[in-house]
Amino acid sequence: MASLLRQVSKALRAPINRNIAACYQSRLQSTETANVEPPVETRPTVRKFDAVQRTQLKDFGKYVAECLPKYVEKVQLTAGDELEILISPEGILPVLQFLKDHHNCQFANLTDIAGMDIPSRPYRFEIIYNLLSLRFNSRIRVKTYTDELTPVESCNDIFKAANWYEREIWDMYGVFFANHPDLRRILTDYGFEGHPFRKDFPLSGYVEVRYDDEKKRVVIEPLELAQEFRKFELSAPWEQFPNFRRALPVAEEINVDKKE
Amino acid sequence: MAGAIKRTTGLTGLAVSKYPHQKLGVLYGKILRTLQKIPETAAYRKHTEAVIKERAEILRTTPIVEEAEKKINCGQLEEVIIQAENELNLARKMLTWKPWEPLARPPPPNQWLWPPAQPVKQR
Amino acid sequence: MITTKILNLLFILFFSCQCHSARTVTCDRKMAHQTIRQNLKQVKPILSLDKEEARKRVLSLYKAWYRQLPYIVKQYDIPKTAEQLKQKLREEFTKHQDIKDVRVIDMLVIKGQMELKETVNIWKQKGHLMSYFKDTWEPKPTDFLSKFLAGKE
Repeated sequence: MASLLRQVSKALRAPINRNIAACYQSRLQSTETANVEPPVETRPTVRKFDAVQRTQLKDFGKYVAECLPKYVEKVQLTAGDELEILISPEGILPVLQFLKDHHNCQFANLTDIAGMDIPSRPYRFEIIYNLLSLRFNSRIRVKTYTDELTPVESCNDIFKAANWYEREIWDMYGVFFANHPDLRRILTDYGFEGHPFRKDFPLSGYVEVRYDDEKKRVVIEPLELAQEFRKFELSAPWEQFPNFRRALPVAEEINVDKKE
Repeated sequence: MAGAIKRTTGLTGLAVSKYPHQKLGVLYGKILRTLQKIPETAAYRKHTEAVIKERAEILRTTPIVEEAEKKINCGQLEEVIIQAENELNLARKMLTWKPWEPLARPPPPNQWLWPPAQPVKQR
Repeated sequence: MITTKILNLLFILFFSCQCHSARTVTCDRKMAHQTIRQNLKQVKPILSLDKEEARKRVLSLYKAWYRQLPYIVKQYDIPKTAEQLKQKLREEFTKHQDIKDVRVIDMLVIKGQMELKETVNIWKQKGHLMSYFKDTWEPKPTDFLSKFLAGKE
């Protein structure tokens, strides 16, 4: 079993390395000086990253950006070794199709779609697609943005798994997915108003539900609880500690030159 | 094992292909013809052509299935056929999407800034 | 939101046309066009491309609800008549009569269609339907004593 696993993992990595390495040999030499590597981590309690894996991810990020310059806005590594492709909302279908079907990608598994609400941004919602490539044993994250009234193209034709994930996002954030075959609520009660994961949704909700003995049915009544003024700063609570301030930035951008 | 007729791929729903070389040859021809319509400077065309031509060359020189699989190093030939079908589908869609064009419009300022509040200056 | 801004601008444009002489009108129009162009943001439509199309969608949704009401009264065990339901339907639609943004109208139409589907397929229950009538809601306290007793300032 162990030998089989080793063989598989060797086989998985080999073709993508070879192809991409060949494409980027010339370019890597030119960019290596520009990209300043973070200092080598020596503290025993802090996680160390695999340098080889990091360079592979960076190369792959550049590869995607080079193949799809029309849609890729930014490529970054988060948390040290997680590759993120930030794309414009028009590019959802092309980018996902490319990542699924291209020989060097083969991200055939849509693990999850997540949403995020940042009210201070011009487009307040982020839609985050997590993909997994079983062939190359690697993961990638694709992020795009939208607001309350801009429809997002449904990727249900590419990944069947997207059906329920998109319904969940519609229910929780109110982002409308165009061309979704069956868009309806999935988690909230029938007749529920509002989208609970929006930052402006009160923690207690707008209504409370109870059984009324007189009416012999469940009644829905408005709920008003005194709630302190909420501020959406989104800054971490331990911002004031000097060690936190000195920590490395969350994401490091991968330089993609768009000249070609 | 060598020379024995392959009974199964061991993968659910994936039948053994009788003439994988022939099938792949047809598919690769179709992909290359589709790629002809993409401008030559497009990175997608360059990289895809490189992969396809490399695989086609391996298939041309090694008629034995097991050896070809080992050389291509991307699963069994039946899986390679599926990959080629996917690539063909993708290449045809790429013709309408034209992703090799430059970025249509830049992202709104601060859209990708994280954390969204201005980061504290490092000392 | 964006469209409303544009509409306001058009409104200003209209009035400025009426009260100025011909020359200033063209001048104003040019300026107004410029401001419109500056404030105009290219947005992606949800369903409808213009107001007329959105209006048609709203009307057809209203009709669809209206035709279902007799069946709803029959299928749900609720102490209401079809006439009362019609009144409520009208009230729910006129609640949003001031909305001018095409995309907001579209979004409301989509949500209304989903509600209709939930009602017709009897996914909803009696309580969900009756919540439109708000018959158990306590009126909000207004004078000092009732506010005090309710524990609200």
